[in-house]
Amino acid sequence: MTALQLTQLLQSVLAQSTPILLSALAAMITLRANILNVAVEGMMLVAAFTAIAVGGLTGSVWLALACAVVAAIVMSQLLALLTLRFGADFIVAGLGINLLASGGTLFMLEYFYNTPGGLRPIAFPDIWHIPAGALSFVPILGPAFEGQSLIVLLGLLAIPACHVFLYRTPTGANLRAAGEEEHAARAAGIRVGRMKALSVGISGLLSGLAGAQLAMDRLHFFLPDMTSGRGFVGLAATLFGAGEPWLTAGASLLFGFFGALGDRLQAFNLPSEFVLMLPYLAAILGLTFARWRIHLLSRPARVAEEAA
Amino acid sequence: MADPEILLKLEGIAKNFGEKQALARVDLEIRRGEVHVICGENGAGKSTLMNILAGIHAPDAGTITLDGRIVAIPDPVAASRLGIGMVHQHFALVPSMTVAENLFLGRQLLRFGIFCDRGAMIARTRELIEQYNFRLDPEAAVRTLSVGQRQRVEILKALAFDASILILDEPTAVLTPPEVDELIEVIDGLRRRGRTILFITHKLREVKAVSDRVTIIRQGRSIATHRTSDVSEADMARDMVGRDVFLAGRKRGVARHFGEPVLRLSGVVMNNAAGKRLLDDICFEVLAGEVLGIAGVDGNGQTELSEAIAGLMPIQAGTISLDGRDVTAVGVGDRQQAGLGFIPEDRLDRGLSTVMSVAENVAATNYRRSGLLKGGFVSQERLQRFAGARIAEFDVRGAKPETPAGWLSGGNMQKLVIAREMERDPRLLLVCQPTRGLDIGAAEFVHSRILAAADRGRAVLLVSSELSEIFALSDRIGVMYSGRLMRILDRAEASEENVGQLMNGGGQEAA
Amino acid sequence: MMQVRTRRLVQALGGPLAAIVLTLALGFVLVAAITDQPIEAYRELLFANFDSLGNFALFLNRATPLTLIALGVIFSFRAGIFNVGGEGQLYAGAISATVVGVYLSGLTPFLLLPLSILAGVIAGGILGWIPGVLKVRLAVDEVVTTLMLNIITLLATSYLANGVIRDRSSYGAVSRMVPQSIWLPSIPWVPQATSGFIVAVLLAVATWVVLFRTEWGAELRAAGTNLRFAQAVGVPAARRIIASMWIAGGLAGLAGALYVLGIGHRFEQNFSPAYGLVGLTCALLARIHPIGALATALFYAMMLNGAAYMQIETDVPRSLVNLLTGLLVLFMTARLRAAPREA
Repeated sequence: MTALQLTQLLQSVLAQSTPILLSALAAMITLRANILNVAVEGMMLVAAFTAIAVGGLTGSVWLALACAVVAAIVMSQLLALLTLRFGADFIVAGLGINLLASGGTLFMLEYFYNTPGGLRPIAFPDIWHIPAGALSFVPILGPAFEGQSLIVLLGLLAIPACHVFLYRTPTGANLRAAGEEEHAARAAGIRVGRMKALSVGISGLLSGLAGAQLAMDRLHFFLPDMTSGRGFVGLAATLFGAGEPWLTAGASLLFGFFGALGDRLQAFNLPSEFVLMLPYLAAILGLTFARWRIHLLSRPARVAEEAA
Repeated sequence: MADPEILLKLEGIAKNFGEKQALARVDLEIRRGEVHVICGENGAGKSTLMNILAGIHAPDAGTITLDGRIVAIPDPVAASRLGIGMVHQHFALVPSMTVAENLFLGRQLLRFGIFCDRGAMIARTRELIEQYNFRLDPEAAVRTLSVGQRQRVEILKALAFDASILILDEPTAVLTPPEVDELIEVIDGLRRRGRTILFITHKLREVKAVSDRVTIIRQGRSIATHRTSDVSEADMARDMVGRDVFLAGRKRGVARHFGEPVLRLSGVVMNNAAGKRLLDDICFEVLAGEVLGIAGVDGNGQTELSEAIAGLMPIQAGTISLDGRDVTAVGVGDRQQAGLGFIPEDRLDRGLSTVMSVAENVAATNYRRSGLLKGGFVSQERLQRFAGARIAEFDVRGAKPETPAGWLSGGNMQKLVIAREMERDPRLLLVCQPTRGLDIGAAEFVHSRILAAADRGRAVLLVSSELSEIFALSDRIGVMYSGRLMRILDRAEASEENVGQLMNGGGQEAA
Repeated sequence: MMQVRTRRLVQALGGPLAAIVLTLALGFVLVAAITDQPIEAYRELLFANFDSLGNFALFLNRATPLTLIALGVIFSFRAGIFNVGGEGQLYAGAISATVVGVYLSGLTPFLLLPLSILAGVIAGGILGWIPGVLKVRLAVDEVVTTLMLNIITLLATSYLANGVIRDRSSYGAVSRMVPQSIWLPSIPWVPQATSGFIVAVLLAVATWVVLFRTEWGAELRAAGTNLRFAQAVGVPAARRIIASMWIAGGLAGLAGALYVLGIGHRFEQNFSPAYGLVGLTCALLARIHPIGALATALFYAMMLNGAAYMQIETDVPRSLVNLLTGLLVLFMTARLRAAPREA
């Protein structure tokens, strides 16, 4: 493969992985608070729609981005309210949020825009991209980063940010404690409910960025259900990465890589679907393997052989 | 006039949970700098008392005086702020975090106001560890530590924030013997450094090894406070043993002829993952027609023993046989078909499904045997009749066949469990804590049923931490302590004293 | 006796009814804001299903897969396991039945029909069995495994539908038609309504009987309500739980097979409007009661079809129902106090 081809591959991987990366980090923060957040998909979708709608309406890319993130956070707080205050089951409520997002955006399309096929504003502002030629002094990687949107950068920054938050701040430590050993957290005076709501809110923020990236970078349009399972790939990535920021990021970049590869594999007659399955298979296998280890470790000790 | 020597004083403390009186009246005085032990059986009220001090419950009556001032302890955080450092039996530690992180959980030291100052936390932790000579690595993750080490982290947590009084709740319950010795050293060290320690245990050896004074609690009352050096193990044992008067009981003086062994355990060993022996080479037999009572304070292996016999927990060595047949590898259902009846110690946990109806609960193992099936399906008519008959026979109050079992009172739930198991007329009846939480009337009823079974020639293995019950019903009495079966005595040679001693780890000399 | 029964009934129905009423009310407000014909719109939504025999047939057809999936969910929930894999199991069943029907079309219909159906049931069953075993033996969270398997299965069927079994002469990811000889007959007097609906109704009754009138069912429910109790009374809990997952997957697979054989007559990649999740909701809405699930499935089918009629007659977009479905799930779960699952 030539340097140019490698650069192009990396470019495509970075752009495509970012929604997955952000979803994975969103799922990760909640996973550390012991919540399986299946609503990342729905929050991402709502953000994507809001980004296009607001951007098309106002022509301001910053407003579009801000509103997208806010919309996702609002959905996240709806989830938090239903589960923490009204005792709803996290899984069912999460799936319900996804349904609401999917149905709600479709409804908006049909009612307000009369275009059930999708929303394509005629004029749409462009998000900030790294200018061409700015990083060409770095071989291969430099040009790969050129032209990437602001959100891609934010996504990459989010990885160390999540690490620092979880492992270097008191709130992060309290959140981890609330998720790992609730009883210990309560004994230490930590407000477990607050920590969970916070984690859901942060996941809303990150999902919002993911949705905005999906719709606003290059595409400039919204299609019904355009998230197509990326939220779940992100969930798979964080499960595979056991909720640890760098592993999760690695897994999501890997999965994004396979996603980008999937398109190219068509040329070699390899079905893209099988490549797309890999994240989910990896998640199942990863979890099974982790449980298997625990199972082995918690077996009763054998009786020591007595000397004859 | 307040005595400056007295750090903590409890006067007239009482606590009820609904109808149940957990504490009737407790008076306690803890002197500054002493190691004071609270000694008593399960159900005596020790846990409730500790929970009151830890701020988990509020007393219904009485006052708590700390350092001369009357205080209220509304929640655990308040307890901590008052200087009460509580070390619970079940540790409140986050396994993936280090010792230092656990110590500072919820109260982390900050750098620049937003980041954790790890360096400072590690340093301070190390200071504390060295101050108390605890031998811990501040940067070790808790999940890599042994149980004894984790306990030291818990103790350190309590000490770290200037606890004036340290309370340890049954600290040796989870430790292996060498770890117990280490803990005793630690407590001794703390005492030499002038800490005041309140220690709850039922193990007499520990009491003697480490305390200055001991207060005995029995049935919700503080009975006596002694200087440890003034009192013997036998004295303490006598004080600890409760005495309900059971009117019904095994008729004494009747010559009994027991049959063949129905249950035989040989060399039974059960380990946990860490290698601790939960059951240590258990051997005994139960003969047809006899009641073998297993006495002992909760937590000494009785649960493991009963679950091993029932088939719910596997054993790592030894054999269990029922009527001469080796059932070690046989499952629960098959053991029950082979003649085992099991009344578990916790009716809500194992005994019943509170959501399902009374009828379904009582029919659970009896569908085929009692002919409740018609053409392969459950006949509602027969089920209702069956349930109605059991309800009447066992005087289960407040129950109709379709009532959800969870609506019944504790005593009636227990009767239901017994009704189910007795229906099969099992050759071996394994009964655990049968009258826990029951009033005297219900308890008498349960006892009469157990004795009736024995009189019919069935073998009964009674596991109970209620000594009076053991004495009332048993033909022979065995004592569990620390996973070992200490001795089996004939009822005639058993007294509160010698059994009480065995229960608390003492008196191994032959009677 | 009546007192206890009615009290339990009221407790059981109160929450779901409230959720339904709340959702319909909110929907009405929304509709009134959109159109100046809210009453007509709602009439279409709810009652147009009964306007003609044809509409009624479509309504029954819609209710069939919903009922079957809901019944499957009920089996697994009653055993204490949270199976959200209905969609994948549905697809697996549909495609297996299609493949058998299309590729073994030489066989006599007396053999081919049962074989097709069996293929669907087994395919779905296996997808239920895997998460079941992982949960029982290794405590792997069944929500994750069933969710992941859903997506994997949909990708697999997409591959097959776009390639291997694709009907080149038609547009889209569709397979060839299964032989007409094995198309399910329609219900007498109601042409276009598949007899699969009758199967669904019978299975609903059968589910009730098995769960509440057999020893096996009592054991399953014991394992689901208090696992430690079930173990203590000698119930082979692990076997019952895994069996419940076989059945859950099998029923969803059956739904897929009956859909292909009775309604669509071939496999289409996007034939399901989230039947899996909606079926799950029907089961939960009915408090995991089999006959109740039949009722909620009928209600949902009514709404789903009604939305199309509503759009035709008034200018209310059909996606309103999608929106309402999402709201209904949220309202219903918020009221569900004793959910059969712990986080």
